Amino acid sequence: MKRPRIVVGIKWVPNTQAVRFDPKTGTLIREGVPSIVNPHDLDAIELALKTREKYGGEIIVVTMAPPGAEEGLRHVIGMGVDRAILVSDRVFAGSDTLATSYTLAKTIERIGRVDLVFFGQETIDSSTAHIPAQVASWLDLPYIYYVESIEKLELKENKVVVKRKLEDRYEWYEVELPVVIGVAMHSNPPRPISLTNKLRAVTEKPIEVWTNKQLGLDPRCIGLRGSPTIVSKVTWQPEIPRKRKIYQGNPKEAVKWLIKHLEEEKVLP
Amino acid sequence: MATKFDAIVVGAGPAGATAAYKLAEAGIKTLLVERGRGRGSKQVFGGRIYVTPVREVFPDVEKTAPIHRWVKREKISILHNSRILSLEYESPEKHSFTTYLTEFTSWIVDKAINAGAVYVDEVRVDSIVEEDGRITGIEAGGERIEASIVIDAEGVNRLLLEKLGLAERLSPEEVALGAKEVIKVGADKINERFGLEEDSGLAWLLVGEPTDYLPGGAFIYTNRDSVSIGVVVYLATAVKKAREEIYRLVEKLRLHPQLRQYWEDGDIIEYSAHLTIESGRRFMPRKLATSGLIVVGDAAGLLLNTGYTFRGVDYAVYSGYLAAEAAKKAFNLGDFSEETLRENYEKKLLGSFIAKDLRNHTGVEQIMHEVEFFEKYPVVAIDTARKLFELGYETPRIQEALRSSLKTHHINLLSFLYKMFKMVRKL
Ligand SMILES: Cc1cc2nc3c(=O)[nH]c(=O)nc-3n(C[C@H](O)[C@H](O)[C@H](O)COP(=O)(O)OP(=O)(O)OC[C@H]3O[C@@H](n4cnc5c(N)ncnc54)[C@H](O)[C@@H]3O)c2cc1C
Ligand SMILES: Cc1cc2nc3c(=O)[nH]c(=O)nc-3n(C[C@H](O)[C@H](O)[C@H](O)COP(=O)(O)OP(=O)(O)OC[C@H]3O[C@@H](n4cnc5c(N)ncnc54)[C@H](O)[C@@H]3O)c2cc1C
Repeated sequence: MKRPRIVVGIKWVPNTQAVRFDPKTGTLIREGVPSIVNPHDLDAIELALKTREKYGGEIIVVTMAPPGAEEGLRHVIGMGVDRAILVSDRVFAGSDTLATSYTLAKTIERIGRVDLVFFGQETIDSSTAHIPAQVASWLDLPYIYYVESIEKLELKENKVVVKRKLEDRYEWYEVELPVVIGVAMHSNPPRPISLTNKLRAVTEKPIEVWTNKQLGLDPRCIGLRGSPTIVSKVTWQPEIPRKRKIYQGNPKEAVKWLIKHLEEEKVLP
Repeated sequence: MATKFDAIVVGAGPAGATAAYKLAEAGIKTLLVERGRGRGSKQVFGGRIYVTPVREVFPDVEKTAPIHRWVKREKISILHNSRILSLEYESPEKHSFTTYLTEFTSWIVDKAINAGAVYVDEVRVDSIVEEDGRITGIEAGGERIEASIVIDAEGVNRLLLEKLGLAERLSPEEVALGAKEVIKVGADKINERFGLEEDSGLAWLLVGEPTDYLPGGAFIYTNRDSVSIGVVVYLATAVKKAREEIYRLVEKLRLHPQLRQYWEDGDIIEYSAHLTIESGRRFMPRKLATSGLIVVGDAAGLLLNTGYTFRGVDYAVYSGYLAAEAAKKAFNLGDFSEETLRENYEKKLLGSFIAKDLRNHTGVEQIMHEVEFFEKYPVVAIDTARKLFELGYETPRIQEALRSSLKTHHINLLSFLYKMFKMVRKL
């Protein structure tokens, strides 16, 4: 019987929660901030693992990142992923979403037969949510996002039914394979690392590194040269200083006092 | 799972990493399991390591370890009422060094990996498996891995030993809480502000104001280009008497008007907190080995707090080394029984400088619990010094200055002298 091959794209990002704020200088302290697997991508890994539990098959994780990302790949192998590919080469540096998605699409093509391509909903460091849609475009595949679960997978008939979560409703889609799926954030809380899987990550070396030697992509389409995006300006939102007003007294008076102050500050109309 | 190991070490602190390295070096198939991410991410210490025992285990320590500065100046100070009374000591010898524990542990973990140990991070061991009165392996997330011998190096919060019935649950009386900040200042500024040479460092212990007059101590260590500052308070007294959270104490230390000049305009690059053992001797488990198991480092109660310095990391390294030696013997004999392991590990450890230190310093621990000692004596000392040094018309004799300070604080001279005598004897 045919088993599904699932590719999951993950991104290695700075842990924005560990980035601390220096109250004195008002700047962000980035030094020593460890990188992590984009948390929303772990939902995609989890959904892939659940799918494999039900239908069998193989899960291959792909990330385009500097060599340090191997740690993140070991993390998801520790969760149970079968193989990992680290797409890493100096020539990919400076990629915007277009160049990133192009490189990822070509990587996926090179993997061979793939039935499902999973991505996280968005990243915590750039949050464009461009990548999955762009990868789908490059590969000329359908793309469904905010997906919560795989309801039915029929490889023989070459189709899948997915459940999509929106603000006020659920939707079910039946689509032809292969398909690119953006997994809804918080929809599939990741399982913990398993000892034997983590051991496999360390002892069996299931991580391959692909450079542009393997991929052979046109230098005009990758890295800085392949990135038409121009960042013209970035500003930080100014911090609103706290008013540091504390009311002491009974609740009834306090409510009145609070409303009065909120009106004065034009928080309430 | 096909992989089998001869030895499993739980916890990659200085104790566990050393044990794993020495085992792997001897060709024993070793697994080192750590619950934190990466290397050393879960470990916290004040700032200095005594080199002599470490050198015996790692002869290359001076050449290859991540040494920040050699401690050539020791300083002990009482702070109160905008006054500082200090004792300072300087020596050209290299007896101890400052570093980041994370870096130091990584250095040992790397050695272990290079020697052939398998290192697995991000996995918390749930239990050490006991079958028919014998330790047979570990369990994590419902998965088991077997080994002939397990080395428990889980540190102060020894949940695994508790499960095995080899240690009691932690009680507040047994532990102290430490909190610390690392402030990046720059090497040149450190040299200039503390008056230090390129690679020489300062270990500074403070009582009084910085600990809010609670039993414990505050510390300042100079690293290569940063300063570690922190506070350690005894949990039992802190719970009863503390007026502020411990992190507030560290913040107050950082903002102290007479101290902040040293790290002015530096960046806080790390904040951490950790438990530590209060009395190593009382904390020691009934036995340090059972059939198939050896306990090392903090988990074995190997920590000394003399009131003016900490020793834990060098003890951890040394005990890890002794454990590996005992395990090697056990592999040679093919005998992992409790008798053999206790004979070759526990007996060696109890006969070593570590156990001698712990026995020798039990008295200090009692002093560390006398609230008076931290609440009133720093104040008396500063008051006396003030009377002696800040002269107006009259010039009091030392005795007069002391007497009148004691009187102001309602302390009886005799009881004071008796306590001082007792203290000197215990120190
Ligand atoms: C305006 C702008 C300018 C930029 N300029 C630069 C620049 O000059 N230099 C530079 O280095 N970066 C630059 N970036 C960042 C870079 O474009 C993005 O980090 C990258 O393309 C991914 O986009 P994202 O983080 O928004 O991912 P999203 O599209 O939000 O990610 C969605 C999902 O796609 C997958 N995914 C994302 N990235 C990867 C990856 N690398 N490998 C595998 N899967 C992935 C994950 O599953 C993720 O959850 C720029 C970004 C923006 C918005
Ligand atoms: C505030 C403070 C200041 C100190 N200052 C000094 C000093 O200046 N000099 C000095 O020599 N000593 C100092 N110490 C003491 C020193 O830090 C310890 O004695 C030393 O770290 C003990 O080493 P260890 O390997 O036994 O334990 P630890 O360093 O605590 O390492 C134990 C490791 O085991 C891991 N672990 C625990 N349970 C599990 C599990 N179930 N599964 C997997 N992994 C697990 C932990 O994550 C940790 O990495 C200080 C301690 C504190 C708290």
